[in-house]
Amino acid sequence: MKLEELDGRAAEIIARYEYPKAAMLPLLWLVQENQGWISPEAETWVGKTLGVARSHVREVVTFYNMYHTAPVGRRELRVCTSLPCLLRGSGEVMRRIRDELGIEPGETTADGAVTLTEVECLCACEMSPMGQLDEAFTGPLDDGAMDTLLRTAREAPETSTPLPEPEPYISTDGPILSTRFKNVEGTWFDEYVADGGYRAAEKALKTMTPEEVIQEVTNANLRGLGGAGFPTGRKWSFVPKNSEKPVFLVANADEGEPGTFKDRYLMERDPHALIEGMIISAFAIGSHKGYVYIRGEYFRSAKRLQRAIDEAHAKGWLGKDVQGTGFDLDIVIHRGAGAYICGEETALLTSIEGGKGFPKLKPPFPAISGLFRCPTIVNNVESLCCVPFILRNGAERFAAIGTETQGGTRLFCVSGHVVRPGVYEASVSVTLRSLIEDAAGGVRNGKKLKAVIPGGISAKVLTADQIDVAMDFNALMEAGSMAGSGGVIVMDETTCMVEALDSASRFFADESCGQCSPCREGTGWIHRILKRVGAGNGRLEELDDLLAIAGDMEGKTICVFADAAAWPVQSYITKFRDEFEDFIRSGRAIGKREADACPA
Amino acid sequence: MPRLTIDGREIEVPAGTTVIQAAEKLGIFIPRYCYHPGLSIAGNCRICLVEVEKFPKLQIACNMPVADGMVVHTKSENAEDGRRAVLEFLLANHPLDCPVCDQSGECDLQNFYMNFGLYDPRFREQKNKKKKAVELGPHVMLDQERCILCSRCVRFTDEITKTGEFGIFNRGDRAELGLYPGEVLDNPYATNVVDICPVGALTERDFRFKARVWYLSSAPTVCNGCSQGCNIDLHFLPDRPHLNDGARVVRVKPRYNAEVNEWWLCDEGRFGFGWVDRGRLGAVRGPKTNGAEATWETALAAISEAISGASDGARVGVIASTQLTCEELFLVREIFRKSLGARVTASVPERPGSSDDFLVKADKTPNTRGATLLGLMGSDDAEAIVNDALAGELDVLWIFEHDAIDLFGEEKARKLPEKLRLLVFSGTNESATADLAHWVLPTAAYVEKDGTFVNHHGRLQRVGPAFPPFGDSREDWRVLMDLARMLDLPLEWRGPREVFRALAEAEAPFGDLTYDKIGSDGVAIAPAEEAAAP
Repeated sequence: MKLEELDGRAAEIIARYEYPKAAMLPLLWLVQENQGWISPEAETWVGKTLGVARSHVREVVTFYNMYHTAPVGRRELRVCTSLPCLLRGSGEVMRRIRDELGIEPGETTADGAVTLTEVECLCACEMSPMGQLDEAFTGPLDDGAMDTLLRTAREAPETSTPLPEPEPYISTDGPILSTRFKNVEGTWFDEYVADGGYRAAEKALKTMTPEEVIQEVTNANLRGLGGAGFPTGRKWSFVPKNSEKPVFLVANADEGEPGTFKDRYLMERDPHALIEGMIISAFAIGSHKGYVYIRGEYFRSAKRLQRAIDEAHAKGWLGKDVQGTGFDLDIVIHRGAGAYICGEETALLTSIEGGKGFPKLKPPFPAISGLFRCPTIVNNVESLCCVPFILRNGAERFAAIGTETQGGTRLFCVSGHVVRPGVYEASVSVTLRSLIEDAAGGVRNGKKLKAVIPGGISAKVLTADQIDVAMDFNALMEAGSMAGSGGVIVMDETTCMVEALDSASRFFADESCGQCSPCREGTGWIHRILKRVGAGNGRLEELDDLLAIAGDMEGKTICVFADAAAWPVQSYITKFRDEFEDFIRSGRAIGKREADACPA
Repeated sequence: MPRLTIDGREIEVPAGTTVIQAAEKLGIFIPRYCYHPGLSIAGNCRICLVEVEKFPKLQIACNMPVADGMVVHTKSENAEDGRRAVLEFLLANHPLDCPVCDQSGECDLQNFYMNFGLYDPRFREQKNKKKKAVELGPHVMLDQERCILCSRCVRFTDEITKTGEFGIFNRGDRAELGLYPGEVLDNPYATNVVDICPVGALTERDFRFKARVWYLSSAPTVCNGCSQGCNIDLHFLPDRPHLNDGARVVRVKPRYNAEVNEWWLCDEGRFGFGWVDRGRLGAVRGPKTNGAEATWETALAAISEAISGASDGARVGVIASTQLTCEELFLVREIFRKSLGARVTASVPERPGSSDDFLVKADKTPNTRGATLLGLMGSDDAEAIVNDALAGELDVLWIFEHDAIDLFGEEKARKLPEKLRLLVFSGTNESATADLAHWVLPTAAYVEKDGTFVNHHGRLQRVGPAFPPFGDSREDWRVLMDLARMLDLPLEWRGPREVFRALAEAEAPFGDLTYDKIGSDGVAIAPAEEAAAP
């Protein structure tokens, strides 16, 4: 089809945004959906349509790894080899797929049927080892599932049977976030309202002032559940009162931290909770425009949330004069395109603005000058979903569920070597031991626990004797790690820590945005050393080099990605130094069968 | 105004100043790669890390606004270790091909390593391979491996030229600088990216492998390519004729002037210096008398005799040039118009060249405004003088610099030598007009002499000699003063500096200025809005 035929659709998309350039990612998606890849002609068309130099269009196309710069097969098979999948056998999965398709990652089968892509964490670790065929997640990829996947992958997308729906363990009994998760196909408007939905928004809009809402959320001790744990009410209070510029509310649904898979369930099974949370939050900060930034691989999340947004519009909960209160709110979904860094709140804003996902310099902070240089609050999906509960049941109730410094529950994501990987809602006061042993059924195959990452791959690793710790932000910080995104990655005694760290370091090297020199160069440097060590060519003194390089990366960059890349290096090597030294001394190598003795 | 302390020294600066700027005011240099005062803040290189008390982490000085009571340490152990770390990262994948890099000697990776690094390198991995020797356009060469991705060039083409050629593609340590595939970097200001590139990633193709920079001498001057008068540094080889095909001028770099060109220079001006070394007139040429070679002495004797022999001063005509300095134009006026009553003008029917709304002006000469202030524009005009000469009303015509054939047409120009007793041409370079003249006087290029120009905006600026006049050429002012002596018109001045003082006393806009007062930045002496007479 001719690109000019997309002009009408492009105009509609551009109209959603404050500036044309912000339509960059959606226009590239539009092109790719219609043409299969982003051709140079398409880059020129996008540039012309948005008034952006072609060079900058290409910067964006090459930054996000879901955009294809060359033609691809009829279907794309993405296979995750990040740490949580690695722990459950993604190495073997990848080997079999390569063998059977006869291609390497990045290649397309000769018949043009399928392109194989090796990807970093798709945040579906509850079904690991897993893959994604076009839009559908699939896993765990045991032999049977692999047979189905490989057969389907070769079929024409129009006529093939859908892959079976994965059935991991997902909490459904609340008390706050998962009460409607039993609705596997999604909780839609009528059912949401019947379950008490939108009552909190009604209460806020009709009976409260924005200050009262902020106070209530502050009293609830709600802390940002994206990873940083900043008190949500306090964050909202930073927005200047009576701002002459518009204020934006942005929901961070760029779930990307390896080991984390909760926001997808919130959006797919309870999307109105997010919308209601956004209505209340927008009211509190004086915003009339909300964006939801959903990671590119979450196709279904975006579709379901869009359906809920359309319902909310139809029922008068979005748009002009919400429920006759005079309050206006529009919500726009902005899809990412494959870049972990866009989960960093300012990179996320740059990405909405149509740029590469580069974190912004601070100061100024987003609450003062964020999206389109206007006051902006970015909240994680899960945090926003807690807000309706707080308004409906009161701050005291929410606060009482948690600890002294953090109210409520979290959707803990447990993956790795446990019997039952899944999403578990629990009070933030729950201990790591209880999550692993009670909720997730303990370490699988009767093996012993070796190490746990309590809050996503960036968090420092804890050893088996450190798991009697509460999962709230303060307790985990005191334990020398962090609560992060609530992604608990469990490693049993068979885990080779060199391999685990090699995998983590590859993730950070792949995902560094490349803006700041210490991170751009440091992540690649560390990964190259670890790859060499893993191949059996390391030297003992390089362990100290690794620690020093990691130390040099810390605290010197625009965002904390570099710090997050440094922490695993420091904690793995420090806590498992003997294993690393033994690995190097023995001349073993990762992935070789004779190296099965690893760990010693 | 906030008052802060940097390295134990207090300074008060306007609110909104950044730490790097405040430090600069104290003479404290904080290293930088991505920071450039003419561009937006990128904050990506991280080399300007400083310690700010009460901040747990090191802060980048380029983006840190000053605050009252702020205490900054640029040389604390913490800050120095931070810079050392950043430098080691920047150099990790750098190819270290200094021996074959034109930037060597003026490279901030080299400089800062010596000043802020000096660590024992630990990088033992295979370095990233990227493209080398990529021709981006007629003037600029890219080496992706040397690039540290500071994005100065990207911001230059986005913010200054608004042409948007550059991009940084891919991410992480695969990120690489480049143009959109198939595009060419040839905007009128393209080569500025070479100047602002802090490393050897963007180099000048014209300068490629010509000379090591430490062999270059530098002289501050002003570009004569148009009436903007951009401030420049002329880089030349004084004593290595085996390099650069024997040409002295090697390259030109913009010199910062807030009022004229800031940090920038157009490519037309930058690459418009070939004439200084090529096609020059190096010897006096004249009618051979008794087989003797023409010399300055015989030439000036013949010329002064012809002038004195004219029945009337008005039968002598001078077509001066706005390439001449104010001092020389003043001498032309004093000698020819005032003393001899000759017809003098600097107005010639020149076609305007290309221009833009940034630096490039349509008037391709540097001193039209100076000639205007001295009353040499519009008072008479060259066309009329030439027509009168052809009508037999002139005995002597002296043409400075101009190509008469180009200005007046082949037919008229070729008749001039027959219609005149004496046609004198003085100029720097060979031209068809030189071949017509009875006497050809080789004169010094403006980069070989002292003087002043007044630019389009009424700014008086100094030029000075970078090196001695080419061959046997002489400065126009010297020629004019010698001639005055031979005409028995003794002038008491000994050189341009004194001529200028006399000029300043005679002409109000120049006021009480002296060369010292003009300094290296120049002085506005006439209103900017008043357009120079054509």
